Amino acid sequence: MHESLSLPAVLTLVFAATAAVILIHYLIRRPRLDARVRMRLLFGLAVLPVAAAAASTAYGMHRTTERSFCGSCHVMSKHQSDAEDPESQSLAARHSRNPMFGGTNCYVCHADYGMLGYPLTKLNGMKHVYHYYLGKYGDMPMAEALAEIRVNKPFPNSNCMQCHSGGLDSFKGVREHRALQEDLLTNKVACASAGCHGYSHPFNKDTKQEEHAER
Amino acid sequence: MSRFLKLLVWWPTEKALRVSAVLGLIALALMCLGVLDPRPLQVVISMSVSQIFGGVAFIGFFLSVAADVAQARARIQKLEGSGGAAGTSAGGSGAP
Repeated sequence: MHESLSLPAVLTLVFAATAAVILIHYLIRRPRLDARVRMRLLFGLAVLPVAAAAASTAYGMHRTTERSFCGSCHVMSKHQSDAEDPESQSLAARHSRNPMFGGTNCYVCHADYGMLGYPLTKLNGMKHVYHYYLGKYGDMPMAEALAEIRVNKPFPNSNCMQCHSGGLDSFKGVREHRALQEDLLTNKVACASAGCHGYSHPFNKDTKQEEHAER
Repeated sequence: MSRFLKLLVWWPTEKALRVSAVLGLIALALMCLGVLDPRPLQVVISMSVSQIFGGVAFIGFFLSVAADVAQARARIQKLEGSGGAAGTSAGGSGAP
């Protein structure tokens, strides 16, 4: 069970339990269909289940933004433990120590932005669930997962620039930022790359390739 | 609309409500599963499959209500029909 139940979770349970009592009573007692029974069934089959569905969806939508949710698939557990490691200096770990990101740091960095950002991010998340439960990731050993699983598409700088807008003097004052301004805006150079701010996760594939090349 | 109500005269209201109640209970259980055990598959099921079950249960309930209306209308029409026919025949027989 989840450690602490939020308000939508509690509401889901309360609405569902009340509706369940009405429905079980109807199924066991089989009362004559008079106006009172019909009104009770209206609550048991329509009003309360709709309210429970709305509350459980709100809970689910929030729950799917939490780092512990992302890490609940074993192939992401190393990413989770790195982000939670107070000693780690990876970009992901440093951001997760920032209260603005906190326990939802995976979502805040990986979510698409813009008008359709939220639903598109959730739809992409469904692909992860599909690959985990119906694809090959569910049974994949950790070593293989770290070598194989990679980000779906190049990480867009626009996600970094939601916070680091690039408009402040402290940003413009950096010579590399000024020199690469166009390339940063067109994603030709990634903020999270070896020559710039480093990779987000310590087991990044490109990091490994570079380490291998150095050897 | 009236054709729809005519079709619903034969809708088995009680049986449909029992099936809806069972489907509703399954939907509610799945919703709670996603809350009590919030792992990816359970949460996805809670936000998708449970709502399909709940939707079907709700449609069953809605059709049962509509069927009640249809059956009541059919009874009224039958009574009016038999009452009207009786009045006509009485009037006819009463004429000199």
